[in-house]
Amino acid sequence: MILVNYLASAALLCTGLYVLLTRRNLIKIVMGLSLMEASTYLFMVSLAYRAGSTAPVLAGPPAGKTARQLAHGNVADPVLQNFCLTAIVIGVAVTAVFLSVTVRIAQHYRTLDADRVRAMRG
Amino acid sequence: MTRPSIDDGRALARAAEREATERQPPHRPLIGALLVAGMAVALGVAMAGIPREHAPLPLIARYALEIAIPRWKFTEPVNEIVYGTRGFDTFGETFLLLAAVVSVVVITRPREKRRGYFGESAAGAREQRQDDPDVGYDATEQEARSAELREQDERASSGGEPAETPDATPLGTPAPETAEAMTVVVRTAIRVTLPILAVAGLYLVAWGYSPGGGFPGGAVILGVLLLVYAGYGRRRISKVIRPELIETLELAGAGLIIMTEFLGLVLKGSFSANWLPLAQELTPLSGGVAQLFSGSELIEVGTGLTIAVFALLGMTHDWARDEGGNGAGEERER
Repeated sequence: MILVNYLASAALLCTGLYVLLTRRNLIKIVMGLSLMEASTYLFMVSLAYRAGSTAPVLAGPPAGKTARQLAHGNVADPVLQNFCLTAIVIGVAVTAVFLSVTVRIAQHYRTLDADRVRAMRG
Repeated sequence: MTRPSIDDGRALARAAEREATERQPPHRPLIGALLVAGMAVALGVAMAGIPREHAPLPLIARYALEIAIPRWKFTEPVNEIVYGTRGFDTFGETFLLLAAVVSVVVITRPREKRRGYFGESAAGAREQRQDDPDVGYDATEQEARSAELREQDERASSGGEPAETPDATPLGTPAPETAEAMTVVVRTAIRVTLPILAVAGLYLVAWGYSPGGGFPGGAVILGVLLLVYAGYGRRRISKVIRPELIETLELAGAGLIIMTEFLGLVLKGSFSANWLPLAQELTPLSGGVAQLFSGSELIEVGTGLTIAVFALLGMTHDWARDEGGNGAGEERER
């Protein structure tokens, strides 16, 4: 039942969103964002899954099969695996941006509490 | 040289203690819970209707699987999609990554040594006289600047030969890096795994077997550098991780990607088309332009992630004296 995976990723996303909306600590907010990111990885990999399928690799087909048969056979979806790969790299870079902003805020305001960072408040 | 005063230390300690002990109640938990519940319902409804494990593959996936070998001589359809069918998207993602790296560099970089004559003082002299005749730093700024310089000097001076034994370290020098405390076991383990990891990463990229080629390859390069950092400290890799070097490499990678994709437009009439001869399957040159793209991506992702992570690790202190009493955010407003 791949639906369980889908629901788990939805739960992960909702957990991240709740953290994002209700926490005041900037590090926790970044962690919430990372949770939401991770939920999309789980979702995309689960969406790529097919029952009884093989990995989308055409090298070294099993005896009695050709690579062409493999390409037409039951394999997992390579497009979604590709989305997942690029999403991970972009996710790391974006987290680095958030964390560097957080460090600068902590240095400037001497606090990680988003409620105390009020220079932008009118 | 002045050291940060005791008052500053006390204010910082107070701020740190408050951060550690003060309860930070959740911000509007009820509204948050309501919004999240709404999101959960929307996601649940959406997920009930999407394809499950018995659905046929989407046409684009089947197409990519079918053309991987005939058109690209690639036995790895994921790579074929990343650098072939969806090459243009990957091209865009690369520059999204570059934008993120540039942001990190802009946010984290300490002041650099002056490398040329700009003449900004002469050019702005009239405005300076008009708006702010009291040129020069006040005592506070002087203090912060000298502290920052001292920190940079300590970093620079620690780049020299380390002392023979811990006993030979002169008194009054900065404390050893945390990595110096690593045991022989950890260091030997790192020494053994490093070459294996590096070669495995490069092999997977070169032979096009690994899904994503340059992307995971670049992450492996970052892993190798982080292992050196963890086991041997910043000093040992400071010769390799120099901004001049890795930033040049990063932009060279970006230039190579632009050239690879653009030559497709010039030579074959479409952006990201293959303009290289294809070699036999399961050889390094089998993917044509896709392998070149993958290799450039290895440089781009490897150096990009390295810049971002090491910029974060190397962020220096903010030596400016706290204004107001307890160092809380509100008191620093102007």
